[in-house]
Amino acid sequence: MTFNKRSLITLAVLAILVTAAYYFLIRRGITYIWHWEKVPEMLFYIGSKSADDPVVRLRMGVLMMGFVLTLKISVLATFFGIIIGTVVGIARLSKEPVTRGLSLAYVELIRNTPLLVQIFMIYFFVGSILRLSAFVAGTAGLSIFAGAYVGEIVRSGIQSIHKGQMEAARSLGMSYAQAMRYVILPQAFKRIIPPLAGQFISLIKDSSLVSVIALADLTFQGQQAVARSYYTFEIWFTVAFLYLIMTFSLSMATQFVERRLSISD
Amino acid sequence: MIKVKNAFKTFRTHDRREVKALVDFSVHIKKGEVVVFIGPSGSGKSTFLRCLNRLEEIDSGQIFINDVDIYGKKVNINKVREEIGMVFQLFNLFPHKTVMENVILAQQIVRKRRRSEAIEIAKDLLHKVNILEKESNYPSQLSGGQQQRVAIARALAMHPKIMMFDEATSALDPEMIGEVLDVMKKLAKEGMTMVVVTHEMGFAREVSDRVVFMDSGQIIEEGTAEHFFTNPIHDRTKLFLSQIL
Repeated sequence: MTFNKRSLITLAVLAILVTAAYYFLIRRGITYIWHWEKVPEMLFYIGSKSADDPVVRLRMGVLMMGFVLTLKISVLATFFGIIIGTVVGIARLSKEPVTRGLSLAYVELIRNTPLLVQIFMIYFFVGSILRLSAFVAGTAGLSIFAGAYVGEIVRSGIQSIHKGQMEAARSLGMSYAQAMRYVILPQAFKRIIPPLAGQFISLIKDSSLVSVIALADLTFQGQQAVARSYYTFEIWFTVAFLYLIMTFSLSMATQFVERRLSISD
Repeated sequence: MIKVKNAFKTFRTHDRREVKALVDFSVHIKKGEVVVFIGPSGSGKSTFLRCLNRLEEIDSGQIFINDVDIYGKKVNINKVREEIGMVFQLFNLFPHKTVMENVILAQQIVRKRRRSEAIEIAKDLLHKVNILEKESNYPSQLSGGQQQRVAIARALAMHPKIMMFDEATSALDPEMIGEVLDVMKKLAKEGMTMVVVTHEMGFAREVSDRVVFMDSGQIIEEGTAEHFFTNPIHDRTKLFLSQIL
């Protein structure tokens, strides 16, 4: 890495922007007394659950509880999103018009309506008919949402594999399903890791929308904590950082997987 | 072993032109025969090959493999394909699998062989095509000629009764054509029934029982390789041979 004139100019511009931001937002805008010391107990604290509970031990604070729930929902929705997406991606390429039409309708319906509205509909409409908990409804909403996007990514991945691969597999006597499973999908998935990673990083962030159905995820817990304590800035910064931990870990993990899979290139 | 009766096949290209790939096409190939199909590009010879294992479908007519009508209603095409090995112009090895995995995959999931048994068969065949030392390499690490030899081993591992070669040497650098042709010749001499689309007249002369010249989806002329070298009859045949020889 070498520093040249261009890097110096970039640094100077950045410095000016940061100074300006500090001046306008912090110095002139507001007076705010920071209470960062209140944040750790929202993550972990040592104590008892309530006044009549004698067990004193290390417990999760509200933000950490939210973090765990968000992680749970995201992992489940990613898992089901991949399953739905794989099925939809293959269905989109079916020779059979009904299968193809239905999968296309699903993708278009989900992609062209807001996730927030979908979550409301699943929770209040489907949820009240089937008696779904907020957790099930929220996770289902996110899975269905992710499935549509993953489906399109999977379809493009399958289409990017040279058709000679399918022909070679079929000429060896493999059925369509076997050829998909052993030959086409492994190659397609390797190729679509980057867009999939992007999709699941979005999913983690979109999961904050489940807070609207009173599911106590990270965003919900953040809101509640702010309402109780008024440590607005500290809490939202912490919430953002906790999301960043999840998304950044996922980002790193996919890069690792990508490197591992590149040995056959 | 292979009987094609009055097969028709028409393609529609992207600009909606009709291309007649097979026109009232009939041919009979006996067990153990090595038949070479030659002809200009677009003459229908590759299409003919691909219709034999239904990678393409004929529009009308009949094709019998071992007396089974492969376009019949009750036919399981996967069973038919197990018996017909196919080697492609672009090799089509599975790039995410090693050489060994390429050769054992279909053995395990189609022939239902145990892994150890599949590996044993694979080793024999990789040795036969002279590439056993690359068994744990990925296709991308092999030359074209090496990849094509692996592809031949992969097809042979199914123990097919017929082997089809679709311009198997056309995508190879000249210095690698020989190593692939040698494997094909060895196979021919062992009595394998072979349907070969190629421009390699040297191969045809050395091992083929019959050469068929096709143009516009029809057989124009057929005979021994010697016949084509010494006294081809039709003008189209003569023109074509003058271009490739």
